[in-house]
Amino acid sequence: MSKQIGDVILDLQNISLRFGGVKALTDISFNVYEHEIRAIIGPNGAGKSSMLNVINGVYHPQDGKIMYRGEERQQMDPHLAARQGISRTFQNIALFKGMSVLDNIMTGRTLKMKSNLLLQALWWGPARNEELAHRQKVEEIIDFLEIQHIRKTPVGRLPYGLQKRVDLGRALAMEPKVLLLDEPMAGMNVEEKQDMCRFILDVNDQFGTTIVLIEHDMGVVMDISDRVVVLDYGKKIGDGEPDEVRSSPEVIKAYLGAGH
Amino acid sequence: MIYRENGQFKTSYGADQQIFPIAQDRYLVLAIIAFAFIGVPMLADEYFFRAILIPFLILSLAALGVNLLVGYCGQITLGAGAFMAIGAYAAYNFLIRVPELPLLAVLILGGLTSAAMGILFGIPSLRVRGLYLAVATLAAQFFWDWAFLRIGWFTNYSSSGSVSVSNLTVFGWDISSPVNKYLFCLAILVVFALIAKNLTRASLGRQWMAIRDMDVAAEVIGIRPMWAKLSAFAVSSFFVGVAGALWGFVHLGSWEPAAFSVDRSFQLLFMVIIGGMGSIVGSFFGAAFIIILPIFLNQFLPALGDLFGIAISTAAVSHAEFIIFGSLIVFFLIVEPHGLARLWATSKEKLRLWPFPH
Repeated sequence: MSKQIGDVILDLQNISLRFGGVKALTDISFNVYEHEIRAIIGPNGAGKSSMLNVINGVYHPQDGKIMYRGEERQQMDPHLAARQGISRTFQNIALFKGMSVLDNIMTGRTLKMKSNLLLQALWWGPARNEELAHRQKVEEIIDFLEIQHIRKTPVGRLPYGLQKRVDLGRALAMEPKVLLLDEPMAGMNVEEKQDMCRFILDVNDQFGTTIVLIEHDMGVVMDISDRVVVLDYGKKIGDGEPDEVRSSPEVIKAYLGAGH
Repeated sequence: MIYRENGQFKTSYGADQQIFPIAQDRYLVLAIIAFAFIGVPMLADEYFFRAILIPFLILSLAALGVNLLVGYCGQITLGAGAFMAIGAYAAYNFLIRVPELPLLAVLILGGLTSAAMGILFGIPSLRVRGLYLAVATLAAQFFWDWAFLRIGWFTNYSSSGSVSVSNLTVFGWDISSPVNKYLFCLAILVVFALIAKNLTRASLGRQWMAIRDMDVAAEVIGIRPMWAKLSAFAVSSFFVGVAGALWGFVHLGSWEPAAFSVDRSFQLLFMVIIGGMGSIVGSFFGAAFIIILPIFLNQFLPALGDLFGIAISTAAVSHAEFIIFGSLIVFFLIVEPHGLARLWATSKEKLRLWPFPH
């Protein structure tokens, strides 16, 4: 591989998360290097999505600390995480259904738009120029994801595979440092999966974006990720390169049961 | 055939982002505005201005404001009548306490006061949503109904409880005649509709819609729910407040708190629901439907009776009016739950392909 893996960008140390008596995550530590593709796998209910929600501040873990770019993160809200360059896509597509593809992706650039309410109300000078400059950027993303033909379509009318792509587009519009993908390929057919893999690899390659991804399709995970962490019942049971993880007896046990 | 955008190529994002990207729409809207400013004053009589056009314009403005909040930001409100009242009474107080202020400034100050109160009463939206928020805003309605009735300072200790304004001029232009009142309201409405459209197609409008459609995802891409919701309450209340001030000053002339009762709040909410949530033009459709249809039925039914030689009593007319009006509401909501604006959009889409739909 030609790409340069950097230093640790995100370091999770002894994270525990409980909802009342339910332990969603127990004492989990792993790190993510800059520019790498890091996969999180595990059976249903293993705590993978909770892990992403902890990273971007939706859930607040009771124990443990998170180091992001060398600094310990304090109390975190999702929009603060967004400000620091963490963006994500959702498992059950969470697009803005009433808006067009273009508007959805434009919304992803909210943080970068600075003009005030009065200028926006008049659509005048700086506000208009800003809007058009961001439109240019958004068009680049639309080109990149090959969705030019649907840019004016309301997202509610799109098929599932394209909605997933728009979801990725919206996350990319933030120009994130770390991109969290929650099952980007769930429910897709082989061709759509291939397309999505290509986009993920291209994002990683061209923009150098660090990617943390949850995925169930083992073929995909083993092919595109640099390192894999395996969760089961909220505990970490494996961590390492794809081949290493695949041959770990603990992981095989979690996936296939004790008899194998 | 006529409604085609063939050959209208856009070479810049600016051209693509304009309000009416299709040239025919632009000409149509300009023609309607020109007709409203020039044609209508020549055609309409005084009754028409007083009973139909002026209420339509002012309540369109209020419905527009409610639509920004309910339709675009998804925060339901039953307090619109209260914010109209705040706008009206605040403007009245500015008028009598600071007489040197020009009328436009008074109206805008009334709107700003209403916006400030909108922010205050919008705070519950940060915790509750849906029906619970509706109840919280209903509290605003009852509180202000009470306040304007019982606190004498607001009405300048008027003994009858009603307040009145007269001799309104805008930069020396006397607006006491119905035609001038109409033109004044129309001018304000055009400006505010443009502002509403600009806000909804810019970053702020997208933030509102994002909060409406999927608040968790909105927060994850960096939208602060507090800012988005409270700004929607502020802008919406500003529109509604200005409309309330116009309603008191221009339409009624003298009014008491009952003019802005909870009925008004419901009426505005229904306008938005029937007209089309999240649509600027829908606010106008809704206002037209709710204001003009009853009057039309009122005039039309006796005429219809005469045609068949049946004399319909006034009581029967008013009953029939309610029955037909109610059933039309039900009919439209079944045919198109997204409101008249969606019907309009669908027919425009069909028209683009007509007469070759495939």
